[in-house]
Amino acid sequence: MSAPATAPAPPSAPSAPSSPGAGELWRRARGPAAFIAGLLVLAVLVSLGARQPREGPLEPENPGPQGTRALVEILRERGNEVAVARTTADALEAAGPGTVTVVVGSHRLPPAHVDRLAGGLGDRILVRPTTPVLRALAPGVRMTGRTEEETLDPRCRLDAAQAAGAADTGGEVYTAPRGRACYPAAGGHALVRASAGGHTATVLGSPAPLTNDRLDEEGNAALALSLIGERDVVWLRPDPVPEAGRTGLWELVPRSLRMSLVPLGAALVLLALWQGRRLGPLVTERLPVVVRASETTEGRAGLYASRRARDRAAAALRSGTLRRIRPGLGLGPDAAPAAVVAAAAARSGEAPARLGALLHGPGEPGAADPYTADDHGLVRLAEELDGLEERLR
Amino acid sequence: MAITGRAVLAAFAAALVVLVAGSVFTWLVTAVLVLLAAAVLADVLLAPSPRALRFERSGDTSVRLGERAEVALVVANPARRAVRGLLRDAWAPSACAEPRRRRIRVPGGGRVRLTTALTPTRRGDQAAAGVTVRSVGPLGLAARQATHSVPWTVRALPPFHSRRHLPGKLSRLRELDGRQAALVRGQGSEFDSLREYVPGDDVRSIDWRATARRDAVVVRTWRPERDRRILIVLDTGRTSAGRVGDVPRLDHAMDAALLLAALAGRAGDRVDLLAYDRRVRAQVRSHGRGSRIPQIVQAMAPLEAELVESDPAGLVATVLSGHSRTRQLVVLLTDLNAASLEEGLLPRLPALTSRHLLMVAAVGDPRVTEMAAARGSARSVYDAAAAERTLGERSRITAELRRHGVEVVDADPEHIAPALADAYIALKAQGRL
Repeated sequence: MSAPATAPAPPSAPSAPSSPGAGELWRRARGPAAFIAGLLVLAVLVSLGARQPREGPLEPENPGPQGTRALVEILRERGNEVAVARTTADALEAAGPGTVTVVVGSHRLPPAHVDRLAGGLGDRILVRPTTPVLRALAPGVRMTGRTEEETLDPRCRLDAAQAAGAADTGGEVYTAPRGRACYPAAGGHALVRASAGGHTATVLGSPAPLTNDRLDEEGNAALALSLIGERDVVWLRPDPVPEAGRTGLWELVPRSLRMSLVPLGAALVLLALWQGRRLGPLVTERLPVVVRASETTEGRAGLYASRRARDRAAAALRSGTLRRIRPGLGLGPDAAPAAVVAAAAARSGEAPARLGALLHGPGEPGAADPYTADDHGLVRLAEELDGLEERLR
Repeated sequence: MAITGRAVLAAFAAALVVLVAGSVFTWLVTAVLVLLAAAVLADVLLAPSPRALRFERSGDTSVRLGERAEVALVVANPARRAVRGLLRDAWAPSACAEPRRRRIRVPGGGRVRLTTALTPTRRGDQAAAGVTVRSVGPLGLAARQATHSVPWTVRALPPFHSRRHLPGKLSRLRELDGRQAALVRGQGSEFDSLREYVPGDDVRSIDWRATARRDAVVVRTWRPERDRRILIVLDTGRTSAGRVGDVPRLDHAMDAALLLAALAGRAGDRVDLLAYDRRVRAQVRSHGRGSRIPQIVQAMAPLEAELVESDPAGLVATVLSGHSRTRQLVVLLTDLNAASLEEGLLPRLPALTSRHLLMVAAVGDPRVTEMAAARGSARSVYDAAAAERTLGERSRITAELRRHGVEVVDADPEHIAPALADAYIALKAQGRL
């Protein structure tokens, strides 16, 4: 069939670019771009002034619970010079006759460095040293065990310990045959001082008295300050030594393969750009609602089935059958049930009582309907109604 | 701006070159990256601007649903350099535009004519969304892209599947001519001519005065009334949105309405159209003679069922206030939904039926009939019970309408259009129009 005569008039508007050009894109993007650039500049400026304090236990810069910044600050306020050494060489350079070196984190010291330190340091305080460090820097002192008690009493004649009183020194315990030992616990003493070669070595079995967290408890602060005294301090906390001489997987990959990863990455970015760029904007469409006309009927069937509403289902089936057989029996829509039963019985030759039960359920109210007792009864009802309609046709 | 597949290939080739020769020439990585970036940048800058192109459209503006429309697009390139690349003529998905994208080459100062074929899958107006051109640079590595809006609208008209019934119904209509009075002497039948009596004619139609003047017995013949008014009312409320089969009830109603309109137009009656839910969605009024089918088709095309409850009071008022004060046949195409009809239409029926003849036509759902016949398991018997209840309500409302003197046509989608046409022919045969 040809197109109807009165089609809508062809739109006569001329074509016009609807996507933004380069200038328009720049005008749109410059505001957000300037904002982001400003934020970046601001962030850089702010971060320039700040430096992240180092972290870790017994770190003199660490203000956290495990750090020792409080003790170091107190020492500096008291007038002690505190030099923080990160390497063996720094420590040896800073240490002198009038200084005391606090050695923490001694497990990071390589064996060669331990030997160099043994000769070069003056007085020293070793905080829970490793066995090689203990042997080298405090000759004659031996670790004998470990105590679970935290707070110990001094019970010795060492001035510093007496001044401090009870302190949280519980940890590893030592014996020193030729030195003085304080804070006894089962198996040894938590603080021992031994002298050898013109300098003293003090070994502390626990780092707790020095930490920010515990400095203000018991006699911890007094113990730490008294052990150091008026001397200048070298705080040796070695940085981890990088392992040398091992090659990773990365070094084993051929050099040209490593280098080709850069253009390969560029190729992947281009691939994403190529596939990601759409040819024009998405087209939207107002979609119609899709709902089946039979949906309410199906919903009602679902409700009948889920609630097992056999009485209602039976009533609907019976009224449907009655509606269809009445015209054939010559009866109107308002015919009495008995009249319908009588007419149907006359036509089909069935017993009126049985037909009555089939078409109208039990006669007296309250009596049980055999067809709605269970689902099988309902199926039987539907089939018998079908059979009746067939015979009456 | 866009990247082409060639640029991606070049980048992979660069990676390969570095893999082979990178250990010898360490500067190679930087060199290939710079070279690639420079080539892509140069290609973008050298590509002809797709924004300079000009477009024109021409072609079909309407198409029957299911048929194919062609819209031509002329691309003009006013610049000196040729534009080559990709072009996409975008339409809404339901327009099924083909091809979706194509390669083009428009010489400098030249024009190219392209054709987009549309096969709409939904009735209504299909608007062109835009033409996107991706213009590739001389190296083929990168492209510039722009979208132009080139407006055009193709209206997808109702398919009018039922027109295959038209010849049969027309011949039935012609049978009415001349023998009208022989069957029924309806009120208001028009006198047509005199002819000789043949056995079987109603003796009451013998014209004794004419017989006296001649030797033979002469009967008067009658023809069906002409120039009656028919108002087809489409209910576009929520009940028309429900799908019967895969098509909304409204579309089935339109199909039936078109057959009725075509038939009535040939029979010399005037056909008006009104689409209503809570307000007038479309209206076609006939002035004088001539077929109004094209206008009706155009008015129907953009109609969609609205998800609102129809307002029968407003509908009745609109029908009664129509320009025709004379008696007319009002054909209301709606759903026999007991709840909405009992509350809405039934109380207002007397106002309508006292002035006009009302016919209600509704599309029955074969799915419900199928459910009513289901047997075997408990679940299918529950289905059957629910379907029986729906059918029972439907027949109850049908009886109620008939009691008010309303003609009711209730048929499944396959048969609604011929059934409505038959009901119209029957009314005409009885002279009740």
